[in-house]
Amino acid sequence: MYAVAFVEDEKCIANKGCRLCILYCPEADTLKFDPVKKKAYVVESRCKGCELCVVVCNNAKHNAITMVMR
Amino acid sequence: MGKNNLKICSDLEDIMPPEYRELVASATYGKENRGWKDIGSAKELIEEHSLCAGCPEAIAFRYVLASLPNPEDTVMVGSTGCTSLVFPHVAVHNIHSLFGNQNAVASGLKRALKLRFPDREKDVVVLAGDGATVDIGLDMTLQAWFRQEKFTTICFDNELYANTGGQESGLTQKGFVMKMAPQGKQFNKVRMPEIARESGCAYVAILTVSKPNLVERVLKNAVLIARTIGPTYIQIYTPCILEIGKQSMEGLQEMRDAEGPNDRFAFREFITDEAKAFLADMDEKKKAAAAAKIGTAAPAGVK
Repeated sequence: MYAVAFVEDEKCIANKGCRLCILYCPEADTLKFDPVKKKAYVVESRCKGCELCVVVCNNAKHNAITMVMR
Repeated sequence: MGKNNLKICSDLEDIMPPEYRELVASATYGKENRGWKDIGSAKELIEEHSLCAGCPEAIAFRYVLASLPNPEDTVMVGSTGCTSLVFPHVAVHNIHSLFGNQNAVASGLKRALKLRFPDREKDVVVLAGDGATVDIGLDMTLQAWFRQEKFTTICFDNELYANTGGQESGLTQKGFVMKMAPQGKQFNKVRMPEIARESGCAYVAILTVSKPNLVERVLKNAVLIARTIGPTYIQIYTPCILEIGKQSMEGLQEMRDAEGPNDRFAFREFITDEAKAFLADMDEKKKAAAAAKIGTAAPAGVK
């Protein structure tokens, strides 16, 4: 099992222009922006579980990302 | 390489790897004003690298590759180190040189490209760690600057030898204790930006990767100045979280802690007068082009 990041759609404010997790994720093409839902989402097969996205999201008080076991 | 070379023969499209198809469909080759804002919406030029979870160097690679002004006509020169683990996963032409001779390889490459493609701008960008740039390859680095070779040198400064277990490098800060330097470093961190300025670099910058817009601005300045004026040097702090005893999610904070006004990675840049004039001229032209665009877009009769 691996810990990977998970974005909760209800809390994510990517529709208002936030791109913090997408920008600061060290992995390329892993946290992406869904142009239909206007939310960030995680490509789980690429996520290494470093939790940097959780830190930047929580620092901005959005708290939209949690780590889940897969 | 023209971006047309990337197109896939339609008969073979279904058997090409999905990552390649994504590159053809949505990568930003040939896009004017590409930059950090493309991250997340366009296919990036780096794919599933093997760096550790949370490695700040990986963040730096993403920003650097997103900010290159002309990736389809750029050749990157890498050297031994963690960066050499990434180059096989990068969709920009690149060469792996021996440990330390990256600036010598880049010198020859830049001259050969100038002869082979006299009518096209071909950028050469060296990207190496602090061991290759400042310790093992210092001779080649400095000689390239003395000769005014027109390419950009980027140093990913993690302040130690990371993937051999934590030995001290020239850029390690004084007193820092590492696994393979238990007494701590006895000497000061080499002042590489100042050395670069005195060695003839037209543009020098030192920064961390905590601000993607700053990385983009600095990288574009460096590559464009290197095309016309002379060598440029960028030193970027990419801490090795494993070797300095941090958790995977603490890399960003480590960089922010190191870039305060009096810290060793406070943002500094040195620009020669010639390069300053070049940048000012470029800004003027950009503004004029933007104004002309607005002028043509406005309906007739509206000023």
